[in-house]
Amino acid sequence: MVHVSHRFEELSAHVELLDGVEVGPGDSVLVHGARIDVPFGEVRVERRRATVVHAGWLERAWTRLTGDLDCLSLLEIELNEGNAS
Amino acid sequence: MTTNLGIDNAMYGAVALNDTTRAAVATTTLSPRFYTTDFAAMDAMSVEPVRAEWDALIAELASDLNRKHFTRDKGLGWDLDIEGLSPALRAEFLDFLVSSLTAEFSGCVLYAEMKKRGKNPDLQALFKYMSRDEARHAGFINDCLRDFGVQVDMGFLVKAKKYTYFSPKFILYATYLSEKIGYARYITIFRHLEAHPERRFHPIFKWFEEWCNDEYRHGEALALLMRADPGLLSGLNLLWVRFFQVAVFSTMFLRDHRRPEMHAALGLEPEAYGMAVFRITSEISKQVFPLLVDVEAPAFLEGLRAMQRLDVELTAARAGGGAANWARARLIQARMAKAFVSLLLLPAKKNPLPASTRLAPSW
Repeated sequence: MVHVSHRFEELSAHVELLDGVEVGPGDSVLVHGARIDVPFGEVRVERRRATVVHAGWLERAWTRLTGDLDCLSLLEIELNEGNAS
Repeated sequence: MTTNLGIDNAMYGAVALNDTTRAAVATTTLSPRFYTTDFAAMDAMSVEPVRAEWDALIAELASDLNRKHFTRDKGLGWDLDIEGLSPALRAEFLDFLVSSLTAEFSGCVLYAEMKKRGKNPDLQALFKYMSRDEARHAGFINDCLRDFGVQVDMGFLVKAKKYTYFSPKFILYATYLSEKIGYARYITIFRHLEAHPERRFHPIFKWFEEWCNDEYRHGEALALLMRADPGLLSGLNLLWVRFFQVAVFSTMFLRDHRRPEMHAALGLEPEAYGMAVFRITSEISKQVFPLLVDVEAPAFLEGLRAMQRLDVELTAARAGGGAANWARARLIQARMAKAFVSLLLLPAKKNPLPASTRLAPSW
């Protein structure tokens, strides 16, 4: 379920997986279908198909290990070029 | 909370468009990052040690004091004069709006995710209100971008989203500091413009006073969560407490120096402004951190200046292109990392924590 609000009082976008699939570190989620362009002033809720690719145990462990280092790019510290593109 | 949002189409020369004809002449792509965390650990957090303060704060958030604040016709006067802005100022100001929008939007996504996936009712209540506020702020900023003909592109919704990991305690340290420094930034600008109204080149600044109280309240809740678990504020975790203070302060210092036009227009000198903000943030964080970076130490400011000079060199090297400049950029980055570590190693001040965490926003 994709929920997008593009209004003066709220700009937000959320993707909710309805069948209880849990997303873990390193997993990736792809929402299928056309681009979702919500005109200003509207809220749109769409039911879409989504594919969740679960990470293998190695990738999961790696993401858990390195994810926290990512907080550097989160803070946009320019110590590494991780956020350059 | 995330990065990478740039104006794709640099048509900053957009004319002032009235409300009905505000067509997009440029788009800016939102590309937030997606985080997952240890939800079981989040659920296990207990606010019992701070129950009374917690309940009072949640009640305050529930009462939604700023529900009517984010409208243009609330009597503050929306006196926008786009034509009066020079192209350079316009470019920097748009960059400022876009990075503020990204921060609000990403906070909204992160908090909503924690509300959705968590099972602890105390935390769910908090994240629901925090997400509400951030979405509202993002909407308000988005409308300012629309004045300039800039439209946000949410193409990321149908692209593969990779979830990275952010441990609960880091979420607490980082979001606490970013909410509190956000408050300090906005209130410092607001007070400055109260004294120098002729410098207020855009009406959005008039909204900052009540706006920043949202950030302040969020920070209060995160402070209570940390105070409820003393393990987060002792032992090896004190290293992280220091790390995040230095990271947040130096990030702000570098980024503000990259916007000289905007600060000149406001009549603010980035260094003095930064130091004023660091003092306020540090004063506030006495409520929660047993160890404080000494922002008054001359070596602290010198360290920041050193990083800033390197940042200028880095920008030049990156703009230059070619293998030699690539190598140069790497070298500069290594020196920046060293300067950052020197800042981390400066003597920190011990701070005995007050019995009560809550603190009134009195700046």
